Amino acid sequence: MMPAAPHDERLERIYAQALRLYPVRFRAAHGAAMRQTFRDALQDRSFSRRALIPMVLRDLVTSLAKEHFAMLRDTFLRPALLFNAVVLAAISTVLAIALYTIPQQVLRQGANDPQIQLAGDLAARLEQGVAPTEAVPAIAVDIARSLSPFVIAYDDQGRPLVSQAQLDGKTPVPPIGVFNYVRLHGEERISWQPVLGHEHGVRIAAVVQRVNGPQPGFVLAGRNMREVEAREQQVEQMAGLAWIAMLGLILLGTVAFGWCTRQKPA
Amino acid sequence: MATATAPAAPLTPAVFAILLSLAEGEKHGYLIMKDARAPQGGGLRMGPGTLYGSLERMMRDGLVEESGISDDERRRYYRLTSQGHTVLAVELERLDAAVSSARSHGLLAHGGHS
Repeated sequence: MMPAAPHDERLERIYAQALRLYPVRFRAAHGAAMRQTFRDALQDRSFSRRALIPMVLRDLVTSLAKEHFAMLRDTFLRPALLFNAVVLAAISTVLAIALYTIPQQVLRQGANDPQIQLAGDLAARLEQGVAPTEAVPAIAVDIARSLSPFVIAYDDQGRPLVSQAQLDGKTPVPPIGVFNYVRLHGEERISWQPVLGHEHGVRIAAVVQRVNGPQPGFVLAGRNMREVEAREQQVEQMAGLAWIAMLGLILLGTVAFGWCTRQKPA
Repeated sequence: MATATAPAAPLTPAVFAILLSLAEGEKHGYLIMKDARAPQGGGLRMGPGTLYGSLERMMRDGLVEESGISDDERRRYYRLTSQGHTVLAVELERLDAAVSSARSHGLLAHGGHS
């Protein structure tokens, strides 16, 4: 074998250093043979340096990208690893939905608590024959601004008789379907957005009860849901952050586990 | 005719050039590179990274194997497996059919070189 020229030795040393950029397993398997191939190319006088060096540089760039991508694919796209990650992501998604749904339902159901009692008391008084004007408290409640509970008495056709609640100076009336349902079932609990002259975006947690007796009708006890909805939104944000954090941990765990269990050079 | 293990898609230029080179017999890396660079080998400028990356995948797919014979511990020799021969034959038939089709459409002179 002819001794290598100093310039060729320098090129070979540089190429040997460049080989360190390949993934460890690939370098362990082929590094020595690649260096030998490069040495053979340097010693082949039919292969001009002007053609060889740019070709090897291009080859380094493309094959480095290819081998690193193959290494990442072999490390992280193993079916067992992906399956575990997908299962954990599904579990965390169910958990996040539960983290939102359960407190949201507790908050929403809790928003009815005073109204249930108020509607029951008012219906009982009206059934005892107390006049609506006496049974309904005189204190007016602007439901666009106040969070106080309020009551409204309606006649058997759903027309307001006496009301504490005012919205744009009018008494809000729920859809006729609500009265029809209560006529059959005795009570209904609804989230209701009154539609009057101006759109306030006010939502009411309302309990509607049937009034029986000589003057049948309906009573509605309600409360602005502004605070409850603000808390629901906080719960939604916290559940969303918890979900993102869980997915982040799963991603980190999957990457770490994949890296620790990757195929290592023999 | 070998069609039992026909490749699903045309071979990459590097894989085809390596198969074609090794069809003559077992060779080491630089000889394969040199064959690929020659016009009759496909005129492919393939560096050591592409060569050994392709050889690794071809060994995994059972198309080539190391012969175990070497004149230098750093110089490895490779040869085609029977599956490698089959895949090369199928690819050559595919290319031959394409060339025949080109000829029949007047895109290539009869008996001429592409």
